[in-house]
Amino acid sequence: MVNEYSVKSEIGLPEIARKLLASYPDKRIFALYGTMGAGKTTFIKAICRELGVEDEALSPTFSIINEYHTHKQIPVYHFDFYRINKLEEVYDIGYEEYLFSGNYCLLEWPELIEELLPAETVKVSITGEQERIIAF
Amino acid sequence: MPPFILGIETSCDDTSASVVEGTIVRSNVTANQEIHKEFGGVVPELASRAHQQNIVPVIEAAIRRANIRKNQLAAVAFTQGPGLLGSLLVGSSFAKSFALAMEIPLIEVDHMQAHILAHFLEDPQNQRPLPSFPFVCLTVSGGHTQIVLVRDYFDMEVLGQTIDDAAGEAFDKSAKILGLPYPGGPIIDKLAAGGDPVRFSFSRPNIPALDYSFSGLKTSILYFIRDELKKDPAFIEENKRDLCASIQATIVEILMGKLKLAVEEIRDTRYAIPDHGSRIVDVAIAGGVSANSALRKALLETADKEGWNAFIPQFEYTTDNAAMIAVAGYFKFLKGDFTKQSAISYARSRW
Repeated sequence: MVNEYSVKSEIGLPEIARKLLASYPDKRIFALYGTMGAGKTTFIKAICRELGVEDEALSPTFSIINEYHTHKQIPVYHFDFYRINKLEEVYDIGYEEYLFSGNYCLLEWPELIEELLPAETVKVSITGEQERIIAF
Repeated sequence: MPPFILGIETSCDDTSASVVEGTIVRSNVTANQEIHKEFGGVVPELASRAHQQNIVPVIEAAIRRANIRKNQLAAVAFTQGPGLLGSLLVGSSFAKSFALAMEIPLIEVDHMQAHILAHFLEDPQNQRPLPSFPFVCLTVSGGHTQIVLVRDYFDMEVLGQTIDDAAGEAFDKSAKILGLPYPGGPIIDKLAAGGDPVRFSFSRPNIPALDYSFSGLKTSILYFIRDELKKDPAFIEENKRDLCASIQATIVEILMGKLKLAVEEIRDTRYAIPDHGSRIVDVAIAGGVSANSALRKALLETADKEGWNAFIPQFEYTTDNAAMIAVAGYFKFLKGDFTKQSAISYARSRW
């Protein structure tokens, strides 16, 4: 089943983030597909807030992995594979340590590491321009 | 005689090592093909495995180029964070082992503080004034955009920062939209030189207080280019210099706007500093984007107008480097601020 939600502004994002997390209560890895400027980081901010993250979620394009903590001090990992040229680089980062940690992992540009994504990854797509369609 | 300090930086892509003598750089080395040729081998691209292959040759080169023996080192400083954990671990593990083996103190350094402390690196051939406390520093790089109130070497407060993309990322992603290779910041700077900075106008963020946002600008550039390409497929080629100049001018304007606001706020009430009258007059920039010529020019012009003393680090100490780690280590050495073998790396900023 695919759920589709349309949002006209950032104000609608918290509700969709809640629905996403509620739809997959046992899942921890969420891959966000969308072109540059689609709003991947913005939606991840909303997901992080729902998870109780206290830090501001920022773009990890340069850092590749951002680590945030919830108010219960549980880590949440925010990935961005935009800068990745070869899968080898992802191995070098030690991505398994994060993806199989049992903590929430939110992934931007997952298409660049498609073959490394675990089978249980939840795929989320963001399309549209004025009105964004979020599907999962 | 000031002590020799070894600095090690492995927080992100580059493996770097440096030896300082007090605040004077004796060597500053980043892994590249040449270092590996000296040692034999080739340089891999990214992340922790690359750091593992780089770390020994880079440190050997730093000590050799400083013309000292390793038993002359008084302490070893390393980047503790923020950064990629796997990468940080390579530097910290080496530093810990080295400190144990040489029986010298181990010093942990925060990467973001070190970017600011790079201003205190001195060049005996080229004496320049140093900023005096308290001062304001705008740290801008591919991963960070922060306005910091610097009260003392290690007494710093982040007054504002980006809530989404860093300024360097805004440069790099704009370059990507224009079809330029990554990282495109320096290429935009070069192409902008012959362009008209007011030809195109892009949306400016409207963010409260001293925080920044560059995500909306990126989207605005993206849609603008896409729409123009529909009308004229050669739009980018025909307008490349003006596009680069306009994008650069917009980013610089956003950066300088909040920096000015920060200085004004400090002069007023919120961060007023006792015994300092009401004026902060020293304003610095740091980080990789501080190499951008338009930002440098804007800082100097604003400083002229506003009566600030402007400080820009030497070019080679703007991007990630180990000399800034070593000099931060030197200032901690003076305080006797050493760390234990149990020091742990951290991925996220601590302040």
